[in-house]
Amino acid sequence: MNKEVVHLLREVALGILPISLVVCLLQLTLLHMPWEVFARFALGALFVGCGLFFFLLGVRTGLLPMGEMIGAELPKSGSVKYLVLMSFVLGTAITVAEPDVRVLAHQIDFVSAGLVSRNILIFVVALSVGICVGGAVLRIVLGVPIVKVLVAGYAVILVLSFVTPESFLPIAYDAGGVTTGPVTVPFIIALGLGTVGVLRGRNSFSDGFGLVGLASIGPVIGVMILGMIYG
Amino acid sequence: MNILWDFLDFRHVALELLMAFAPLVLFFAYMQHRSLRLPWTYVRRLMKGIVLSYMGLVFFLQGVTQGFLPAGTEIGHIIGGAPWRWALVPLGFFFGLAATAAEPAVRVLAIEMEKASGGSVSQKPVLVTLSLGVGVFVALAMFKLLAGISILWFVVPGYLLALIMTRFSTPSFISAAFDAGGVATGPMTVTFVMAIALGAAGALEGRDAVADGFGLIALVALAPILSVMTLGILYSRKRSGR
Repeated sequence: MNKEVVHLLREVALGILPISLVVCLLQLTLLHMPWEVFARFALGALFVGCGLFFFLLGVRTGLLPMGEMIGAELPKSGSVKYLVLMSFVLGTAITVAEPDVRVLAHQIDFVSAGLVSRNILIFVVALSVGICVGGAVLRIVLGVPIVKVLVAGYAVILVLSFVTPESFLPIAYDAGGVTTGPVTVPFIIALGLGTVGVLRGRNSFSDGFGLVGLASIGPVIGVMILGMIYG
Repeated sequence: MNILWDFLDFRHVALELLMAFAPLVLFFAYMQHRSLRLPWTYVRRLMKGIVLSYMGLVFFLQGVTQGFLPAGTEIGHIIGGAPWRWALVPLGFFFGLAATAAEPAVRVLAIEMEKASGGSVSQKPVLVTLSLGVGVFVALAMFKLLAGISILWFVVPGYLLALIMTRFSTPSFISAAFDAGGVATGPMTVTFVMAIALGAAGALEGRDAVADGFGLIALVALAPILSVMTLGILYSRKRSGR
């Protein structure tokens, strides 16, 4: 086995074991849940652990280099229209594949019994991320300071908070947190750095960052609007 | 035996994830056709990685939907109905701390911040502040749930504070801070700790599983934003003081 695999195994184990051990301890002392449920937890931990290991291994050999290449390739075309449009498509496509988004949608399905359909939610979140990634790339091209965009985005969120139906509010905020996961981040960062790299006028390295932060504003607003339509 | 069968029936997740991966693969195929034109041996290697990721996600999602989600809500249900339900607050603190300290993305962020600050912010304080910050915010989320307070009371002041702090921070720290928002929401937080909160919200009388149970990820995402900017302000003070 090579060193990278061992390192990855250690990382996954470190992520899952401490919390699992505490649950085992609680089970013996305070929880006393039915053993059937405990078996579900233990099997779940095993599946999640194995799944994460293979997923991350695949990210390193597949998704990460793919993200870097696409991110570097798109800005080379020279057409701003094409770049922004494709960034939008890319942002949408990667969010549909993002595991954390999917888990949140499953959870909403699980407890709310049809508040909002899983596919509609994923679709809205993905579309919002796409719009934000497209907008973020346009921002780099136009040279608008990132701080201004961030402040404006969060100001919109704060204002919308007071008109969104109560039951959608927590889901909307959560949707912003789950969009930045292991699939999305490498693609978005690569796209930002690629765009900055091609535009020689703006050589500052830090200009490429902040895209991830912008990408998580969109879903919050998107789900809030969805809530207003449903409410 | 029934449980094992539930876990081994991969049909639903396999199909769901096939649909999830399709747009990305199609996008890549289009790019490859249009302009990338990578050699086939390389494309084959990339595809192997994609297949590996796909299989990993099938296992992951199966573990979440068949394991963590039902078991987590059941655990939350038991705690929420027990006289010692306030133990959720310290438990939440521990869960947040443990999940963040082990999260690889957090370590990447610490390195990024060391660069952004020109070496004046070393990695250790970033790791410690972030882990403690997330622990405190998960505990806060549990408190919010037990006390039945609306998420607005936490999120609005939190983001207002973040917006005010941008006035005193350098652009590179601001970018790093808002990028960091999603970093702390690792796999255990989103899948398992969240399920516990949902279960507890369902068990408490007068609480709504949706309105009171969700919101945990939002608070966890707020923690790194505030802690990274605080660190940034503290360090730039210290530097200009010298």
